[in-house]
Amino acid sequence: MDVLVGAVAYHPRIVTIWEGFRDYFTAAGAPTDYVLYSNYERLVRALLEGEVDIAWNTNTAYVVAESELDGAALVLAMRDVDADFRTVVLTRRGDAFSSPSELSGKRLALGSRDSGHAAILPLHYLRAAGAEIPEASVIRFDTDLGKHGDTGDSEFRVVRAVAEGAADAGALGDATWAAMRAEGFPPAAELEIAWRSPAYYHCNFTALPSFDRERAARWTSALLAMNYDDPSVRTFMDLEGVKRWLPGDKSGYADLTAAMREQGYL
Amino acid sequence: MTAHRVDAGALELGAGLETLVRAALQNVPPGGELEVATASRAAAFELAGWARVAGHEHAGDTTEGHGSNATFVVLIKRGGHAAVLAPPLPRRARPPAGGELTLNGLRRVEPAPEHADPAEGLVPIGAVAEAGAPAYEWQLNDRDRIWAARIASLVERAARAQWTSDDIPWEAAVGLPEHVEAAVAQVMTYIAQNEYAALYVPARFLPQVNPRYAEVLQWLASHVHDEARHVEVFTKRALAGGARGYALASTELSLHSLLEEHDFSAAALLLNVLGEGTFLDLLRFVERHAPDAATAAAARLAHHDERRHVQFGIAHVRGRLERSSDEREALVAAAEARAAKLTSLSGLNPVVTDSLVLMAARSLRPGDLAEAGTAVRGLMQTMERNRVRRLAAAGFDRPTALHLSDLHTPNLM
Repeated sequence: MDVLVGAVAYHPRIVTIWEGFRDYFTAAGAPTDYVLYSNYERLVRALLEGEVDIAWNTNTAYVVAESELDGAALVLAMRDVDADFRTVVLTRRGDAFSSPSELSGKRLALGSRDSGHAAILPLHYLRAAGAEIPEASVIRFDTDLGKHGDTGDSEFRVVRAVAEGAADAGALGDATWAAMRAEGFPPAAELEIAWRSPAYYHCNFTALPSFDRERAARWTSALLAMNYDDPSVRTFMDLEGVKRWLPGDKSGYADLTAAMREQGYL
Repeated sequence: MTAHRVDAGALELGAGLETLVRAALQNVPPGGELEVATASRAAAFELAGWARVAGHEHAGDTTEGHGSNATFVVLIKRGGHAAVLAPPLPRRARPPAGGELTLNGLRRVEPAPEHADPAEGLVPIGAVAEAGAPAYEWQLNDRDRIWAARIASLVERAARAQWTSDDIPWEAAVGLPEHVEAAVAQVMTYIAQNEYAALYVPARFLPQVNPRYAEVLQWLASHVHDEARHVEVFTKRALAGGARGYALASTELSLHSLLEEHDFSAAALLLNVLGEGTFLDLLRFVERHAPDAATAAAARLAHHDERRHVQFGIAHVRGRLERSSDEREALVAAAEARAAKLTSLSGLNPVVTDSLVLMAARSLRPGDLAEAGTAVRGLMQTMERNRVRRLAAAGFDRPTALHLSDLHTPNLM
């Protein structure tokens, strides 16, 4: 029986990716099919109800599922970019601060409120580092809710808001920032990183504790064997933003779990 | 392992930093480490995210010095993936000698292969193709089936010999007597009609040629370009005096049968050797007997181009006959098959013949007409003689050359 993976359709390319991955898994002896959902809340529910075997979750979606499962979820794998993920805080050039406490009373732009990297974690880390940031001084760009920041749309708005002076600082994922800079998004050229968060983990493939261990092992080892130097999968790996799959590891979600508790998401 | 190090000054992402780091990482083996030293704390912060997205690992940060003199050092561990899915580029070699880059010089970097992969990509001579490209389905993948001796020099000559409609003294094309102008318009229309076929034949083969045979592509492209210009100038001359000519059905029948030829070598025989070869004599005649300088110039300039096309055809057919014992039979069969389609044509259309005579006579005086008529008959004999000579040059024995010349279309092309 095929392993059924659920993912969120945050962009048309998701179909291309999973069509390519489906062919790959079939050839690798771990036949796989996929189902797409419009948002992570539905995906998590589908996982919990056994509608899919594996959910390709954001870190936020994973933490919700893990909490529902009382810590018993299986984490099968993640991308190389998901390990050592960080949030960066930007200011206009010359306005950089040396301590987050200097942000107290300033206007902070954040991405979609359900984004771990662009909203939940920056607020958590900055407050923990001494910044007093009342909700009134937060400027939120709640676009694409349900997609947990995957589309990047809210992060572009954060950068524009800081560049235009509508906010004093703004938070987004370091990978998004690197892509904006490398691609020459003009407002990004006017800003600089003032602060960088500790590292945490991002997306992962989550399964229920009842998922057959042998099927899990076969599927995971097929995934980990996916080779970026194989021309038949490079395109799909590029679209997914991965060069190497890493084994699952639950150690990088403690900060997000704490942050989601503090902010009322759990 | 000793870390490699690069000084990035105050470069930022999007403004040179990633280019510098990528270049420096080329000297680092997979798994090896690169220290990037920067004067900018912001650049150090953003480099970690870039490294991860680029498939490397951020292996830590240190700071050297203090305050405004601080240097931030970011440690990047190179990922194991290949940036390009291809073998490493060959080491830099001695540049092609002589100071002049000829096509043959390029072939010393990489010879034209005898057979090419039909799925081959658009890979320039000397380039290393990356895996994972979409596959093509080229039809002409054997060098000898499309090549010609000295094709490189033909291509280079074609490029140097380009001319334009501006090289023709169009002002000379006005003021001819009514019947002479009508004759010129008909001859020019006839030539232009034939030049269309000379354009379509190479154009049809162009997209079939495997990109490994760059010279053949360039040759066919120059051929197409030449013929496009011929269509232009002969059309212009046809209309320049205000008269019009017929696009004759008998000419169309002949050209239609030429365009139905799908074999490269048979097309080279029928178009380049026989058709354009015969047109060399026609163009020479028009140049010599033209009643005005514009007509003469158009014929002379087109003749230069057609001579190259004929040289290609002769060299190609000769090469085919030398290499393949079956080719002679196949080429003769192609000429016979075409002739069988043209049995309804008994000679050059009298509308064309009369126009050639009237153009050459430049008057309706019996003496002038008689002299011009003799010249046109002489042209037909010259054409026949030269056709046989060209066929012999292409490698056919005399009986076969005579047979092929007899089979040639009465329409001349």
